[in-house]
Amino acid sequence: MRWYVIRTLVVKEWQRHLANRGGIALGLLLVAAAVLLSVFAPGESAAAGTGAVGGVRHCFVEFDRPTPLVKHLEDNRPPGLKEQIIFRQLARPDDVNALVAYPTGTAAIQLRQTFASESPTGRATLAVSVRHPDGDPAALAGYEAWLWKELRRACAAGARRAGAAVGDDPNFDRDDWALAEAHKRLQDRAAAGGVAVPDLEVTRHGLGGKVLDLRSAVATGLVVFALYFTCVYLLPTLNCEERERGVLLAQALSPASPAEIVAAKFLFYPAAGLALALTIAAVYKTAVLSSLFFWLALLAVGGGFLGIGMTIATLARTQKAAFLGGMCYLLTVSMLLMICSMNHIPVLPWLAVEYHGPRILHAALDGSVTPYHWYSLLGAAGLAVAWLTAAGWLFRRRGWQ
Amino acid sequence: MIRLAGLRVHYGSFAAVDGLDLDIRRGELFGLLGPNGAGKSTTIRVLIGQRRPTAGTVTVGGYDVVREWAAIKPLFGYVPDRENHFEEFTGRRNLEFFGQLYGVPKMRADVVLKMVELSEAADLPVRGYSLGMRKKLLLARALLHEPHILYLDEPTANLDIHSAEVVHRILRERVKAGATVVMTTHDMDEVEKICDRVGIVCRGKLVALDSPLALKQVHTERKVDVTRPDGERLVFDLDSDRSRGELAAVVSGGGVATMRTREFDFHATFLKLTGLAFD
Repeated sequence: MRWYVIRTLVVKEWQRHLANRGGIALGLLLVAAAVLLSVFAPGESAAAGTGAVGGVRHCFVEFDRPTPLVKHLEDNRPPGLKEQIIFRQLARPDDVNALVAYPTGTAAIQLRQTFASESPTGRATLAVSVRHPDGDPAALAGYEAWLWKELRRACAAGARRAGAAVGDDPNFDRDDWALAEAHKRLQDRAAAGGVAVPDLEVTRHGLGGKVLDLRSAVATGLVVFALYFTCVYLLPTLNCEERERGVLLAQALSPASPAEIVAAKFLFYPAAGLALALTIAAVYKTAVLSSLFFWLALLAVGGGFLGIGMTIATLARTQKAAFLGGMCYLLTVSMLLMICSMNHIPVLPWLAVEYHGPRILHAALDGSVTPYHWYSLLGAAGLAVAWLTAAGWLFRRRGWQ
Repeated sequence: MIRLAGLRVHYGSFAAVDGLDLDIRRGELFGLLGPNGAGKSTTIRVLIGQRRPTAGTVTVGGYDVVREWAAIKPLFGYVPDRENHFEEFTGRRNLEFFGQLYGVPKMRADVVLKMVELSEAADLPVRGYSLGMRKKLLLARALLHEPHILYLDEPTANLDIHSAEVVHRILRERVKAGATVVMTTHDMDEVEKICDRVGIVCRGKLVALDSPLALKQVHTERKVDVTRPDGERLVFDLDSDRSRGELAAVVSGGGVATMRTREFDFHATFLKLTGLAFD
C-alpha cells in the first residue's frame, strides 16, 4: 500500500463529489434537518418518546402460574389484538425485580396471583404490574382496556359460580363501562338515602392527532440514513458508474493496485458517512459524542452498511443496477422486518443490520442503553464482519469486470 | 519485445483467438488488422492483463503477462477504443490525477496536452469535449509516463484529418524514441502510411504478417485495363506470359484509346486475405 496513491484516489473521490454536488447537497439537507430538530426542541421531557420508534407492537402478558384466570384472559383476547398479546410464564416468578429484557416496541403486563390459603391476610390477591415505555404511560391503553374488562368478567363469573349475587355484567361494549358502573353504584347508594344523583353521559371524540414526540426517532432515522446513503447508495452507484464508463479499468491499469483502489473507497465512503452521521448526532445531542456505546454502534452499523454496499458494488454491473440493487435490498429487508415484527417471528430479524442499527443508535441518542442493546451491538458487529467478508470474497472472485 | 506463442482465448466454446503466434520487435509500429470479431481486441485485452489466455504464453519485455503482471504494468500506455474519462473533471485534472498515480511531475500534464493540441481546452470539463478531443485526451493520458510500449485500439476513429495527422506524428516520434507501438485499426490508408509491419488476423488466426508494401506486392493483382478506340474494354494479366504478349500486340497495333495499370490496393489485399471478398 502506497500512501501517495491512496491519497490521490481519496482526493479524486472527494473532487468528484465536489464537481457533482448532489451527494453534498443531500448531506447538507440532513444536517439542516438535524439543526431544525435541535432548534425546535419542545423540552427534554417530551423528547423521551421511546414509543416513537415503532410504538408498542407487542404486549407480553406475563404470569407467575397458569390459573383459570390466565386461561380466561388467553381465550378472550380481542380479535384485533390477538397477534399482539403474547402470553408467557415468568422464568423467575418469585423475584419481582428479576431482569426481563423487553425489545424496543414491546411492553408487558405482569400478573401475580396469591391464593387465600397462601396469603398471610387470608385474602386472595391479584397483583397487576403494567410495564409501559418510559414517558408514555398511555402506550398500553388499548391493552389495559381489554385486561380490565376481562378481569371484571372473569371475577364476576367466578363469584356467580360460587353462588354470590353480583348482578348483571355492565355493558362492556361501552368504552366507559367502568366509569358508568362506578357512577351507577353511587346513584344506587345516594338513592337509598333519598338523594337523586343525575345520570352521567360521556362521549369521546378523537381529534385525529397523536401526542407523540418524533424527535429522537427522526434523529435516529437521519443518522441511519446518513450511513445508508453513503455506504449503500453512493458507494455502489459511483463505483459501478466508474466500471460502466471504463474509468475503473483505467485506474486498474495505472500503477494503483486493486488493493489500493479498494482501500481508498473503503476509506472515503465510510469516513464520509461517519462524519455526516456524527455531525447530525452532535447537532441533535452533543453529549452523545462522549458515549462509547454511540461510537461503537456507529462503527458497527457503518461497517455493516459498507459490507452491504461493497457487495452490491461487486455484483452490479451498471450504475442503474447498483441503484436498483440498493433500493431492492432496502425494500426487501424492510418488508421482512415488518412481517417478522407483525407476526412475532423470532431470530430472522436478528440477521439484519437494519434491525439492530436503529435500535442501538436510538438507545445511544436517547441515553437509554440497556444490556439488551449491548447484545444488539454485538449482533450488529458480527453482521458487519460477515458482510465485509462476503464483499471481499466476491470481489476476489469477480474482479473489475 | 512482445511475444505471443500459441495464444488461445475461448469465450465458452467460441475461440476468439485460436493459436496466435506473433513476435513484435522493439521500436516498431505494428498494426493489427482484421474484420470485426477477428480477435484483435481480445489480443489487446490479453496484452493489458484484462483477459487470461486459455492456452499459450504471452511475454512483454521478457515478463509473463499472467505471472509477472506487476512488472509489466508500468511499461505500457493504453488507448482504449471507448473513451473513459472522468466527465466532471477538466482535461487537465484528468491528466493530473493519472499523473499523480504514475508519480510524474504536474507539469507533464501540460506537456502532453500541448502535444495533442488540447492546451486551449485544458480547463474545460471533459463533458464538453467532442469525440475527437476525448480521443486525443486518451492518447495524452497514455503518454503521461512516456511508456516503452503503447497499445492503441483504433486511435484515430472519429478524428478529423488534421487530428489524425497529429496522432500519426506522435506515434512516429514515440517509435523514433525507441518505443514499441501496437495499434488496431480499420483504416487501410493509416496502416499503409505509418505501420512498419502489419499482422492480419481473421477468425482468431494470423493470416498474413509483413510490411504493408510487401503484403501489397504479394497479394495485389497486377493487371492492365485497356480501352480500345471503339469503346471495347480489355484486361491483361501481367503475371501471365500469354496475356503480356497479347497486350504487346494490342499496343503495337495502335488500337489503344486509354491504358491504366491497376494501383496497389491494400484494401483489396485485406479483403482477399480475410476471405470476405473476391472469393
